[in-house]
Amino acid sequence: MLSYIAIAILGISAIMGLFQKKAAYLGILVGSAYYMLSGFNPADQMSYFILIACLVWILVSLYSLSYDRHYGKWLASSMALMIMGMVIILQSTNYLLLITGWETMSVPAYVIVGMNKRDSAPAFTFMMFSEFSTILIISGAVYAFFITGTLTFTQIPSYGPLLLISMGALIKMGMTPFMISEWLPIAHGNAPANASAALSATMTLMGVFAIMKMILVSPDVIWIGYIFLAIGSISILFASIYAYISENMKMLAGFSTIENNAAILSAMGLYLIASEVVLRQFIFATIIIFALSHSISKTGLFFSIGNSPGEYFGESGHPTSYGQRVGTMLTTMSLSGLFPTIGGLATWMLLEAFFMEAYAGGAPGMSAIVVGSVIALGEGMATGSMMKILAFGNLFHRKLERKHSPNQAIISGIGLVLIFLFAISIFIVSGTFISGVPGVLVFNGFTITSRFGKADFGLISPDYVVLLITAFSLAAYALFRKPRLRDVPVWNGGSAEVDPYTSYAYSNNIRLMLRRVLRTKTGAFGNAVTVIDVFWLIMTDIGKGYRAVSKFITLRVMNSSIGWYMVYMIAAFLVIMLIAVLVY
Amino acid sequence: MPPHEYGDLPVHKMAPGEFNFQYGPSTGGLMESVGITLTTPGELINSVAVDFSFKSRKLNLRGKSIRDALLTVERINGFHAASNSLAFLMSVEDALGMEVSEEVQKARILQLELERIRSHLEVIKRLCEPAGFGVPVNQLGYLREKISRIISRAAGHRFFFGANAPGYCSVSGSGINEKLREAGKEFQRIYAGLLESKIFLNRLQNNGLTRDNFLTGPAARASGLRYDSRIDSATLPYGDTPFYPVIREEKDCFGRFNVRGEEILNSIDIIASLGNIKETGKPSLQEGDGQGCARLESPQGDIFYYAGLNNGLIEDIWHVSPGTLNIRAFQESMKGNIFTDFHFNWESFGIWISEVGVVFQ
Repeated sequence: MLSYIAIAILGISAIMGLFQKKAAYLGILVGSAYYMLSGFNPADQMSYFILIACLVWILVSLYSLSYDRHYGKWLASSMALMIMGMVIILQSTNYLLLITGWETMSVPAYVIVGMNKRDSAPAFTFMMFSEFSTILIISGAVYAFFITGTLTFTQIPSYGPLLLISMGALIKMGMTPFMISEWLPIAHGNAPANASAALSATMTLMGVFAIMKMILVSPDVIWIGYIFLAIGSISILFASIYAYISENMKMLAGFSTIENNAAILSAMGLYLIASEVVLRQFIFATIIIFALSHSISKTGLFFSIGNSPGEYFGESGHPTSYGQRVGTMLTTMSLSGLFPTIGGLATWMLLEAFFMEAYAGGAPGMSAIVVGSVIALGEGMATGSMMKILAFGNLFHRKLERKHSPNQAIISGIGLVLIFLFAISIFIVSGTFISGVPGVLVFNGFTITSRFGKADFGLISPDYVVLLITAFSLAAYALFRKPRLRDVPVWNGGSAEVDPYTSYAYSNNIRLMLRRVLRTKTGAFGNAVTVIDVFWLIMTDIGKGYRAVSKFITLRVMNSSIGWYMVYMIAAFLVIMLIAVLVY
Repeated sequence: MPPHEYGDLPVHKMAPGEFNFQYGPSTGGLMESVGITLTTPGELINSVAVDFSFKSRKLNLRGKSIRDALLTVERINGFHAASNSLAFLMSVEDALGMEVSEEVQKARILQLELERIRSHLEVIKRLCEPAGFGVPVNQLGYLREKISRIISRAAGHRFFFGANAPGYCSVSGSGINEKLREAGKEFQRIYAGLLESKIFLNRLQNNGLTRDNFLTGPAARASGLRYDSRIDSATLPYGDTPFYPVIREEKDCFGRFNVRGEEILNSIDIIASLGNIKETGKPSLQEGDGQGCARLESPQGDIFYYAGLNNGLIEDIWHVSPGTLNIRAFQESMKGNIFTDFHFNWESFGIWISEVGVVFQ
């Protein structure tokens, strides 16, 4: 009941936003903080989703206080409403609340995507996929009600609702089955940066939450696990490739979101195929840590991009502060799966989980090796795309700014949060996996151990990693002090003519090497190199085909023909009857 | 001179996404000062412009005596000193209508073939460098040094300086054949090893395909063109030697590498067939008027000299270096290749900027 107060605060914030934007953001801040304190229970693993989402919303509201100058009154209100919808999802105890929350989240998000640009296509694209997602979730809920006779989340003796709701949630996470969906980068890339962060970090988190919730009330169906693994691994690979070649920073971050969500989906697939209890616990912990890492890091990334004057890498010239550089560096490190950030731990846990499952042998073991390898490949590509953002968005051709803005402080703060989360991760991971190696002065309670039986598989001591890096850095500083730097003009082979190296050139190797996958063409349409997003092309072709068929039937067959209309009605009635009989 | 003003190469129009990557003139990996502008969208090379103006030298030989002019000409490119000085001297001899003995002409063939062996060894060595083949690089460097010492023993100078004059040649071929045969065997072992290395061949094959017939030297012969001024030399008696033009159809770096490798072995045979060359003739510094020209096959390709004399002094002189054509061919052949192909292709043409950058005044 206490949690509903948070929903009320957010609702009031939405109204206040129409009159005073800052009041709305402060309302989101208060509502999120209150919801985190009232809703988070360390003993309940599902409540970690509340903790993650609230942390993001707090950061988003703080950032929005100084960011939202160029947008009208609707942005703050829509943000409050959207977050309210997400709270309803997290708070839902039945399908009706889940669907209500899903739509309450989606409709304001449509408004937000539509307000940034004059081009209405991204908003319509978002709405189309969003509604498709809702239809699947409603279908799943109806099916669950049909089987159990109640709308409350209870154990379901069928895989149907899990499959339907998962597919609906996957669309929201940027993965239309077996395809990566460019709709997510398009939509998230066209929203204002503060909203993009909320969309990318928490709206997709709602998809993870919904699938996880359904997994817990559904029977263990191994083949659905394999489907998740297949969708996850394909999406990881392609999303990381498209992220790497993207020239729009926000779209790059959008593809990165798909890649992260695909990694989480793979972990959920592994959860379904794993039979060992301890391993399943470890995978659950991995999902939580990965979701936490992705959400906070992606928030920082969108803030950093939002602080740039343009969305494209080429639009440079904006000075950045030390704080922003450090914050962006740590954020990109986290998204690259590097230590000492929480992202490093998340990636380590994910890969450990897959390679532990390899010991199961047979089809699960083989699948785990293949998907684990694809994840490792995708993480490598992700590092490349994150370095692109860091280098071309914050380091190259940009002077340092002495003046510090609140937003730059928030970006650097998020970087430090990512290290802090890494350091305190021993308190987030279940006690089953916490140990130590006292023989080498790593005391009990400071080591996260991956295991699927009694024996340890791998281990990491986050605090020791942080302490050692800090100690060595301080020792180096004490010994050598601040390095003496000298600025010299760039030596360009003795030539005065210097064309800056471009982000496009940075990623062109992949365009050329994967020319069969990306359908790379050179010299086409007056461009040096062009690529095609095959998935998006197929999707738009399907859309066009559907439209053409509809138009044909409307104009040629059904056009004022009562006879054909009757045939259609009878055929539709028979098909529905057949489906109903088969399902029953 | 900007390369787009040289010859008939069209100026590349920059497409969206492209930028100019400047390589050189003063950077690692290049033997001489040359500015290379690669127009690229990244990795892929869409256009190349070679600017040799950084090594441009304006040499004023007008009014100088043949002897003084020769001192400058043989120093245009030490590596190809014999080719430049002999082409110049042959043009002078043509201008003065001098008859040159067959012994001198044979001694000139000896010089040119020794120079060809050393130059080709250097090119093959440089082809191995970008592949990271440290062992063959050093083995070929050692062989090149061996040839330099043979040249030093034969001509009294590692770069044939002072060995030539009109109608005269102070080169001795005694005792060099055995050493050359030894070097030839060593080279064959290295060459066979390189031909067996798939890593090396992958870097060369289909890299830098030539597109037209504006070529000379090994680059032309590797493109199936029977261009070699030794075939129809009016003065140098190559017909009496086992010389044969090495022709390959590949048109790529491998073809150029292959032609050079085979030519090294052929040059050793040519030198062996010349017999015992001794210092011949007497330095003849005739005075006279006239105009003459000459061409010969330098290691890089066809080199041409024109000399106009007035009372034994240089009135007019100009030359055409084989690099002039081959730079153009290199630029064309780089299109569509990627960065890692660049060094192999550049080295495979064996271009000497020092020759191309010379302008006689």
